[in-house]
Amino acid sequence: MHSNHSLILQGRQLNGERKPMPYHTVYDPRGTVNAVPKPLSGRVIGFSGIKLGILDNTKWNGNKLLRKIVAELEAAYQFEAVNYYRKESFSMTAADELISEIVNNNDIVITAIGD
Amino acid sequence: MTRIETTETAETTASTDTGNQLPSRLDPDRDLIEYYFEKGFTDGLPVVPPTPQKIDDMVAALGGSPELVECRIPPRWGNLSRQVLAINMVMAGCLPAYAPVVRASLLALSDPHFNLNGVQATTHVACPLVIVNGPVRREIGMNAGHNLFGSGNRANATIGRAIRLVLLNVGGAWPGDLDKSTFGHPGKYTYCIAENEEASPWAPYHVEKGYDGGDSTIMAIAAEAPHSITNHVADDPQGILDSIVSCMSTFAHNNAVSGGHCAVIIGPEHAATISKHNWTRHDVKSYLWYQARNTFGDIAFQHRYGKVYNRNLPKWYSRELDSEIPVVPSIDHIHLFCAGGESGRFSLFLPGWGHMTSPILRALDGSPPKSGDQICVDGMCLL
Repeated sequence: MHSNHSLILQGRQLNGERKPMPYHTVYDPRGTVNAVPKPLSGRVIGFSGIKLGILDNTKWNGNKLLRKIVAELEAAYQFEAVNYYRKESFSMTAADELISEIVNNNDIVITAIGD
Repeated sequence: MTRIETTETAETTASTDTGNQLPSRLDPDRDLIEYYFEKGFTDGLPVVPPTPQKIDDMVAALGGSPELVECRIPPRWGNLSRQVLAINMVMAGCLPAYAPVVRASLLALSDPHFNLNGVQATTHVACPLVIVNGPVRREIGMNAGHNLFGSGNRANATIGRAIRLVLLNVGGAWPGDLDKSTFGHPGKYTYCIAENEEASPWAPYHVEKGYDGGDSTIMAIAAEAPHSITNHVADDPQGILDSIVSCMSTFAHNNAVSGGHCAVIIGPEHAATISKHNWTRHDVKSYLWYQARNTFGDIAFQHRYGKVYNRNLPKWYSRELDSEIPVVPSIDHIHLFCAGGESGRFSLFLPGWGHMTSPILRALDGSPPKSGDQICVDGMCLL
């Protein structure tokens, strides 16, 4: 197989299908990306009275970290509600339905890995 | 009271990471190998500089249509056109004859059940391993025997390398950037083997799953590096398999704490001893599943660091401290192959990544098994 392949290439060169060029041709191996620009959400200017969403990614220590954060925030601010959510798996993106629920029912959301 | 201000944000910025599909020209005095290093397009080893002729030949072997996008590769979600695949295959050192295997492998990896996005980005060591079955192994000269995971065979080495270059260049899984693996492992240079069907006393892996022996398939699984299992003494199945059970029954790998799939590769000498006692593939898998256990107390660290439930494991497991926990949830989570050199009383255990990924079995041409059986390795049978 090696020798056959080599012979074919040599034959093509000898037949003049591709003439030597006075430059190298170089290629980009990355491929294009279909990027859809997304603007950032509105920024929060105060915590009191807003609805806080917590998204636990279910990593081993994720909920421990998040509960400590929530405890400190609740000591400082009076939230209208604190809603706790969990991803189905830490290694997969959150389900569209879960993201919609968080968006529709919260003003801000905090998430953490806690590996 | 309004507490959310309208955003001022975010000048919408279009991605600049678009890649450049068009070949460009370079001074003929430039060293092309160094050029590709400088551009950051290599895996750390020198690449074969692509030429127009080599790209044309590779695209033709992929079926033509260079602009056709086969799939998108996460986490960068780059478009893998046949032209881009050909560029990476040439850079890896592939022959055009390898094209069907590389293409099928990347289509398998981009199946949503494989969760390549997670595999690429995880802190764990696992990475995609491709195991080839059927006549294509011999047609392209793959090594299924001595040192099959090691160096020395162009097909094994460059097919795996082409897959890795695509995962890096198109998928953007550059170490420390989108690839967060704490350690990685040597299989992240190349990780592709063939089953030694000729030395196996059993039906090949793809036949177990419903394909004909004359079909050529690839099976992709997210796997750790192989762990060697030594047994030079046992002359019966139980003795050999107990050594494999010993290797599997640790609570340090991801299968133990996160379930999911694993691979076991029985060396031909071990396989011969086992089959001499008329043990089938199913017997071997059943024994391994039945015997490879931890206690829940092991997995939960005896609750020393707080009460552990572990929701990554099946909900039907008992969670008493002395409950026996299988290393994987069912016998079909053990993917059994016979491979390696025909001398040497060794086998291998390859832990997987966990329940977060399912292996994918795919015929090179994408056709389903002629038997009409459902392929369970992609996790669909668990729904």
